[in-house]
Amino acid sequence: MKHWKKILFWGLAISLGLVISLAPMPVKATSSNQKLFKIQASRFAFSPAVLAVNPGDQVTIELVSQDVVHGLSIDGYDLHLVADPGQTASMTFTAGQAGSYTLRCSETCGAMHPFMVGKLQVGGNDLLWRAAGLALLAVIAGVWWKRV
Amino acid sequence: MREKLARWIVILLLLVTVMGVAAAWKARSDEGILHARLPEHGGWIPGDLRATVGQPLTIRMTSDDVTHSFAVGQMDMQAVNINPGEMSEVTLNFDRPGKYTFYCTRWCGADHWRMRGTIEVSGAGMEEPVKYEPPLYLRLGLDIDAEHHAQFLPSQEPSAARGARLEHRLPQQYTSWEYYISHSPSSAWQELRNDRSLSDLSDAELWDLAAYAWAQHSPPEAVQTGAGLYKENCAACHGETGDGEGVFANELAGDTHALDGHATTTPTDFSDEEHMLGAAPAVLHGKIIRGGMGTGMPYWGPIFTDEQVWALVSYLWTYQFNFSMEVTQ
Ligand code: HEC
Ligand SMILES: [Cu+2]
Ligand SMILES: [Cu+2]
Repeated sequence: MKHWKKILFWGLAISLGLVISLAPMPVKATSSNQKLFKIQASRFAFSPAVLAVNPGDQVTIELVSQDVVHGLSIDGYDLHLVADPGQTASMTFTAGQAGSYTLRCSETCGAMHPFMVGKLQVGGNDLLWRAAGLALLAVIAGVWWKRV
Repeated sequence: MREKLARWIVILLLLVTVMGVAAAWKARSDEGILHARLPEHGGWIPGDLRATVGQPLTIRMTSDDVTHSFAVGQMDMQAVNINPGEMSEVTLNFDRPGKYTFYCTRWCGADHWRMRGTIEVSGAGMEEPVKYEPPLYLRLGLDIDAEHHAQFLPSQEPSAARGARLEHRLPQQYTSWEYYISHSPSSAWQELRNDRSLSDLSDAELWDLAAYAWAQHSPPEAVQTGAGLYKENCAACHGETGDGEGVFANELAGDTHALDGHATTTPTDFSDEEHMLGAAPAVLHGKIIRGGMGTGMPYWGPIFTDEQVWALVSYLWTYQFNFSMEVTQ
């Protein structure tokens, strides 16, 4: 392969790779939606444990405890809920920057309490798409490399 | 050889002394600490405390598992939270001897209400012995375990406000306390219907009068007190909306209880008209203080004052009657 072709190949591959992994996603439906989650808390899990929302969404969480007193806090948010069985607790907040944030039980509820966690997934699952894009790029590049 | 043996003996003695001191120290620091545990793991340890009239009792408390709290039944006090890994403290004053019940106010499982202990208070004050009075339902000769079905049902939610406009038609005996406690709404309505002087009123108007009569014994403050007590003590079984679908309802349905071997039933649905309109207030009062004796319904007699129990009864009527004095229609 000629020298300039090699440079072109790598240049193209690297810049495409950068675009795929870093390009800002086109902002979908910026109109903020209202999302309601009714989370059941029992020793030692939240159900559902993964909340998928978009940035700007008005998120309402209702926490229903099924056995002992549980709590809920979200990393990166200054929020705190405590729910006694029979007393549903609720809060509303606006989802901020895209990313994945850990939900934690904030009331000690027994031996496995530290593992009582969940996830607030803000924004579409970009990471997955970007990874798929990069994989595809690698395959195409590989094929092309062989050809030339 | 001898020297070696002597050396070992000295070391052994030292060890024993150190361990003894450590054990004593631990026992001392653990002494007087009240441990709170899930009922299936022992509840309160120790479960029986002692106190003397006129001498403040200070209790240091900690939890061995989840969030609990401490309160004494029928005592005007703020419940004290007990968190795992933390030490809480409460000081109690008793001005009367007797047996007090302390209990946990933060739900910790379907058996949470079994988390109770006693405080035996001795000392002066015995001059006037507490008269034993049988509970109201016994004095009235009511069987609180009998089935009760309303024979008559309203076609719309009875309104005390609409009833108030017909107040001048309501014979006085229906608004008395004695009448209220001993009659179910359905039987009160039946007596109103049979009253010749009211024959021009419609069925719905008579239900409104019944709601008005019931409202006389369910003032807003009582309903509000009852609502607060209900939320904290009853909603976990009877449901936050009174529909009997609390978070522990499933656990109670047809279960044979592990702790006492009784077969439990589903909690009462307070929005069920046929059931509730057939119950006299004294029956509900009796059930609350005595409990279901194995059905899963706890007994609250040692926990609530009589006033609080009546407030709960008043609140339960709000699932059947509209007590609001604003007319909406
Ligand atoms: C642990 C679960 C549980 C809790 C907590 C509980 N209940 Fe119950 N309750 C039941 C069950 C089960 C029944 C039905 C069986 C029975 O009547 O004994 C019942 C029945 C009743 C009844 C009888 C209704 C009737 O028509 O006979 C009343 C009144 C009542 N509950 C009031 C209360 C109040 C007030 C509280 C709170 C202070 C409360 N309950 C808390 C389980 C519970
Ligand atoms: Cu928890
Ligand atoms: Cu408890």
